[in-house]
Amino acid sequence: MQSVLLSWFGNLPPLAVPYALASLGLIISERSGVLSLGAEGLMLVGALSGVAAYLSFGGYPLAALGFAMVTAAIVSLLFGVLVVLLRVNQVIAGLALVFFCQGLTNLVGTIADWSNHTVAGLQGWALYQLSELPIVGRLLFTQDIVVYLTIPIFLGVAYFLNRTNAGLRLRSVGESPEAADAAGLNIYLYRFAAVAAGSALVGLAGGYLSLGVAKIWMAGMTGGRGWIAVALVIFARWHPWRALFGALLFGGIEALIPQISAAGIRVPQYFMLMTPYLATLAVMLWQGIRGQIGSDEPAALGQPYVREERT
Amino acid sequence: MPDRYAVLPPLWAPRFFSVVAPALPHLILEVRSDMPAWKQAVIISCSIVIGLFVSAVILIGSGVPTADLIGEFAASVFDVRGFHAVLVQAAPLILVGVAASIGFRARFWNLGLEGQMVWGGIAATAVSIHEIGPEQLRLPFMALAAMLAGMGWVAIPTLFKLKFSVNEIIATLLLNYVATYFLYDLLYGSWKDPSDAYPHSAQYAAAERLPDIGFVNVGLPLALFFALIVWWLAELSRFGFYLKFIYANPAMARFVGVPIRSAVLAAVLISGALAALAGFVISSGSTGRLTQGFFEGYGFSGVLIAFLARNNAAAAAIVAILVAMLFVTGQSFQIFYQIPFSMVQMIQAIIVMCVAASEFFVRHRIRIQRRG
Repeated sequence: MQSVLLSWFGNLPPLAVPYALASLGLIISERSGVLSLGAEGLMLVGALSGVAAYLSFGGYPLAALGFAMVTAAIVSLLFGVLVVLLRVNQVIAGLALVFFCQGLTNLVGTIADWSNHTVAGLQGWALYQLSELPIVGRLLFTQDIVVYLTIPIFLGVAYFLNRTNAGLRLRSVGESPEAADAAGLNIYLYRFAAVAAGSALVGLAGGYLSLGVAKIWMAGMTGGRGWIAVALVIFARWHPWRALFGALLFGGIEALIPQISAAGIRVPQYFMLMTPYLATLAVMLWQGIRGQIGSDEPAALGQPYVREERT
Repeated sequence: MPDRYAVLPPLWAPRFFSVVAPALPHLILEVRSDMPAWKQAVIISCSIVIGLFVSAVILIGSGVPTADLIGEFAASVFDVRGFHAVLVQAAPLILVGVAASIGFRARFWNLGLEGQMVWGGIAATAVSIHEIGPEQLRLPFMALAAMLAGMGWVAIPTLFKLKFSVNEIIATLLLNYVATYFLYDLLYGSWKDPSDAYPHSAQYAAAERLPDIGFVNVGLPLALFFALIVWWLAELSRFGFYLKFIYANPAMARFVGVPIRSAVLAAVLISGALAALAGFVISSGSTGRLTQGFFEGYGFSGVLIAFLARNNAAAAAIVAILVAMLFVTGQSFQIFYQIPFSMVQMIQAIIVMCVAASEFFVRHRIRIQRRG
C-alpha cells in the first residue's frame, strides 16, 4: 500500500505541471479580456516544436523548451490579430486556432519525420542533501527542472498580476476597457502582450508534455489537456493559486490511473481513461451547483473592444 | 454620433509616424451600419479564395505537385466516381452542419457533434447486433435508436447549462472524449468482429444497409429532407420565431413570456438527434459497420458549415456539398501523398479564419485621409 502511495505521489508532479502551466498562461490572457479557447492547439504546437528543436539542434532540452515557448507565442499572434485587431468572435477564432494547429502539427510532424521518435528529453535533477531526506526526498527533490521552476513561475505571475502597476493595468483592460482606454492605456498593446505571454506558458506546458513526460511526439498527443486547462481556469476563478490547486487535483487523478491497474483492481482500461474528463465535468458541475460559475470573471471577457462604438 | 470619424487607435497609425512623417496619409476607421448584400458576398467570396490559396501554398510546400492539386479537386466534381463519392460524403456533412446551426440559433455551442455521432453509431449498431424488430423495419428502428441516443447524450450538457450554467463549450467537448473511449471499449471488447478480430463491429446484414435510390444511397435525400424540416422550423414556425427572439435579446424574451428553457432544450435536442443521425448514415450507408474513427473531423466541419451558412439550414446544405468536395480530395491526398487527413481540418480552419477576418471589412470602413 505504501509503495502504491509513494509511486502515486512521485508521478503526480510531472502530470500536474502541464495543467498548471497551461492554465496559468490562460489566466494571463483571459485577465486581459481575451477568451483563449486555443490552448489545446497551442499545446500541440509547443509539444511538436519542442521535440523538433530537440531533434534538430542537438538535444538541449532547455533550449528546446524555450523554442516551444517562442513558437507558441508566434502562432498565438495570429489569434491576436484576429480577435484583438479584427474583432472576430473569440469562440470561433479559438476553435479555428485549435483545428488549424491540430492539422498543421500533424502535417509538419509527418513530413519532417519528427513523429514517433523517442527522445531522452528532460532528465530528473536530484537536489543533493534534500533528495537524501527519507521518503519526501525521493518524491519531491528528484524531479526535473520544470517542476521546480513551476513554483517560481507561479509566484512571479501572481506577484505581477496582483502587486505591480502593469498587472493592475492588465486587469483593468480585462475588466473595463473603456475606462482603461480613457485612462490612456493602449488596449490593443496590453491584449497582444497578454495573449503572447500567456501562450508562451501554454507552449511551455506542451513542450514539457512531449519532452518531459511522454518523451515522444505523436499527432494529437495532448488528448484534450488544453480543454481541461480551460475548464481549470473557470474552476480557479482566474486566480493563479487556485489554478495550481486544481492542476494538482487533476494531476493526482491522472497519476492514479496506472496505480489502480497496478494494484490489481480490474477496471476496463478505456473507462479508466475517461476519468480525467469525467472528473473535469464533475468539478464544473459541483461549481455550478454551488452557484459559483462566473464569479470573479473578468467583466469584458470575450468581448472585442471597439473604440468607435464607445458611448 | 460617436462612431463617425473616430481616429484609428495608435497601433494602426502609431504616433511615431505623425511625428516622423507628418505628410503620410492618415488611416481613419469607421463603423459601418449597413452594407449591400452583394458587396458582402463579394468580400466573403474573396476571403474564401484567399483561404484556399493559402491552403494550396501549404500543400504545395508539403510536396503535392501543383497540377495534381488542381486535378484531384476537379476530379471530385467532373469525374463520375468522384462526384458519387462527394454526394455520399455530403449526407453526413449536411446533417452535422444543420445540427450545428440549429444549436447555434439557440446560442448553444454544441461542440459535441462527434460524441453524438458516436452514440448514434453505437445505438444503431446495438439494434443491428441484437436484431431488434422485424427485418423490414430494422432501418427505421436503427435511425430512431440513433436519434434517441444522440438526444440523450446532448441532454447532459444542456441540463448542466440550463440548471447550473455550466459552460457548454467545455462540457460538450469533454463528453466527446468520454464517448470515444466508450466506443473503443465496445470495439476492442464485446463488439469486436469475431470473423477477423479487427476493432470494428460485425458487418451489418443487407437489410441494415441504406438502400440505393438512383445515383446515391438514401442518406442524401434523408439529409436534405431534415435540412428542409429544420429550415422550416427555424425560419417559418413559431418555434423559429422564439429562437430568433432569444438569440436577439434573451432578457426581453423572458419579459414577454417566451418559453426560453423549452425552446433552447428543443433546439439542442434536435441538434443532437441530427448529429447522431449523421453517425447512423455513415455506419449504415458507407462503412456498413461501426468503425473506430468514422466520426473524425465531422465536429469542426459542422461548426464551419454552420458558420459559413450563417446558421441557415438551407445554406448549410449547399456549403456541406462544397466541404464534401474537400473531404473527398483530402481522402485521395491521404492515399496518394501520405498527407494526414487532418489536413482537411487545417484547410477548414484557414477558411474560417479568413472569412471571420473579412467580416471586419463588412462592419468597418477604412478611409485614407491625406494630410498636408
